[in-house]
Amino acid sequence: MRKTALLLGSAFVALAGLAVTGPAGAQERSVVIKGFGAKSGVVRSFGVNSEAAMRAAAELINSQGGVKLGDGATGKIEVEFLDDRCTAEEGISVVRRIASGPTLVAIGPTCSNVAEPLFGVLQKKAGDASDSGLQFPIFTDVAIKGGLAKISEWAFRNVPSEAEMYTSLFSWVKQTKPDLKTIFAGVEENFAHSRATWYAVMKEAAPKAGLEVKGEAKWLLEDTNFAQQVREIKAAAPDILAIAAHPFTTCGVLKEMRRQGVKVKMLIGLTSSSSLETLQGCAREAEGIVIPTSFAPVNQAAEAAAAQAAKFNGSLDLHSAATYENMFILKKLMEEQGVLAKPDTVQADREKIRKGLAALKETGGLLGTSKRTDDREAVKPYLYVHAKDGKWVVLHNPVTN
Amino acid sequence: MDFYYSLAQIIGFHTLLGLSAYIVLQTGQVSLAQAGFFAIGAYVAGMLTVLAGWHLVPAMLVAGLGAALMACLVGFPALRVRGLMLVIATLAFGEAVRLFFFNFDYQIAKGEVKIGPLGGEGFRQIRWFPENGWTSLEVMLFVWTVVALVAGALWWNDRSRFGAVLRAVGEDEVAAQSVGINLTAVKVTAMTIGGFIAGLGGAIYAHYTTHIEHLNFNVLLATFAIAYPILGGLRSVFGTIVAAIFVQGFLVEGLRFLGDWRNLLFGALIVLAMNLRPHGLIDAATARRLARLFSREQWRGEQRRA
Repeated sequence: MRKTALLLGSAFVALAGLAVTGPAGAQERSVVIKGFGAKSGVVRSFGVNSEAAMRAAAELINSQGGVKLGDGATGKIEVEFLDDRCTAEEGISVVRRIASGPTLVAIGPTCSNVAEPLFGVLQKKAGDASDSGLQFPIFTDVAIKGGLAKISEWAFRNVPSEAEMYTSLFSWVKQTKPDLKTIFAGVEENFAHSRATWYAVMKEAAPKAGLEVKGEAKWLLEDTNFAQQVREIKAAAPDILAIAAHPFTTCGVLKEMRRQGVKVKMLIGLTSSSSLETLQGCAREAEGIVIPTSFAPVNQAAEAAAAQAAKFNGSLDLHSAATYENMFILKKLMEEQGVLAKPDTVQADREKIRKGLAALKETGGLLGTSKRTDDREAVKPYLYVHAKDGKWVVLHNPVTN
Repeated sequence: MDFYYSLAQIIGFHTLLGLSAYIVLQTGQVSLAQAGFFAIGAYVAGMLTVLAGWHLVPAMLVAGLGAALMACLVGFPALRVRGLMLVIATLAFGEAVRLFFFNFDYQIAKGEVKIGPLGGEGFRQIRWFPENGWTSLEVMLFVWTVVALVAGALWWNDRSRFGAVLRAVGEDEVAAQSVGINLTAVKVTAMTIGGFIAGLGGAIYAHYTTHIEHLNFNVLLATFAIAYPILGGLRSVFGTIVAAIFVQGFLVEGLRFLGDWRNLLFGALIVLAMNLRPHGLIDAATARRLARLFSREQWRGEQRRA
């Protein structure tokens, strides 16, 4: 009896599954785009926001008629977001899983330490028969460490250029606040992005703007005690403190600075910290911190996108805004490239998407037009925001000023 | 199929990591240094294929020997302590290795780009497999050939005189010493063999991920290394293989469709498995049943041939 009930139950579940996932009408097909990133651990919020942005964009695109496919049929975007736990092994496994199905393109990952190995698994030069790497297009939204897309011709990114942003920020600081002469850094040493942003970007850009680098205090992503590092900051007594760290340790350091009574004339933060988490974690201590970012709800399109993402329980920041933009870029590109989204054209469609992405010279975005570089990176418009009364407020917009 | 081949590769190098701890655990020692030996294997093999242009097989052997040498050197002082002290000592060694690679820079110019380990930013472009046109199926077969060789050697060792000595030390050190067994020699030998196996696993891991960095070799990996043989059971090498399949194949990949619930279930299912099978997934009784099954099949085959 129990066995029969189990069998009947299984049959019902299987039939229900078929009814739900069965083929749509002949003229309407599924266009599968999958996202992946960290939805666990300390950087979980990045994955949660990316997924919300992705679902928000897909709903909007589908409600506006979907994607016009190469043979005149309509494609409805189907999305799914997979957790890679910010580990290389799982990131590679997730993408191999995605690539073994009907997915045409993937958006992700969150962490640069996943993007770097993942791009290495992809074919280095498209069409190189001697290279057995994976032939699957990836359009990265979050992993921001500099120069990663050049690893593979199947890798593309829509992340801001930190080198350009911080170079611009430091020269603006020098122009508007000439009394600030020295800079000291706090660096989250074991996180690829934070480390690379200080050593390869800020530390290079600051002296060029006439600022004297007085050194750096180091900590780890998992650290919870920053007493020693704050003492180092106090001893250096810099005019500017640049914190190359994510919201969790940024807040830890700022709180410790308040406890020890350490003050600097200006705080500069890491791009990834211009998020809600920083304000939720330490709005009072972060008051005044200046961060360059490629997203803020400063125009109608950006405000609408932020509201749409909020419907899916996510918040739009510089990273998730890129996810949102990627969906619209891909929709336009698939229409231009005549993607068919049929089961027997999956690999051909992926190649069309790769070629389309490689040919892009500029793309539309929430803050304006982004330029595309030859090594498949973006040069996005940006602005400087600062924390004011528990909100991110635009401090300066180099595009309009 | 590509995904399943890739998954089999992951299970393969995790099995090697587990087997490296299996032989050490047989002597009754709990070592958290396996992640360190795994890291040494990964970096050495990566440097040999990327910087020196070696073929993967000799690079793996050198990586294994390098890790074995380090295990031998560490084994002498570390194995003078026992129990929890040994756990802490080996954990400290693993962290020391990780921090060494965190600060280890050795880059050479190849054309316009610099390649090689770059401290905290890691070591990228370890692309020996794709650059030599190996398909996922070929890589999987290669990985499992190595696993089969290692598991076969350990299976044979379990039935040998040396295997009996290892178990004797693991069961009761005082009794083993009283019959003339040199405890330090046995423990250091087990540690060295474990280091060699971990080195091989690390070499494969580096070439699977194409990019390695210090964070890949943290205490979590060291915990997994000892979890596989403990979860699988110390009576048979097959226990470690089954445990690696259970953890990587079922808990990590098989439950991915559960989304956020997967992480919650991960720990709960391990606890459940350990409660249901307190002596391991392949305990002594199961190992005996399997042995009888195989020997009966073998006997029947011989009868038929006769």
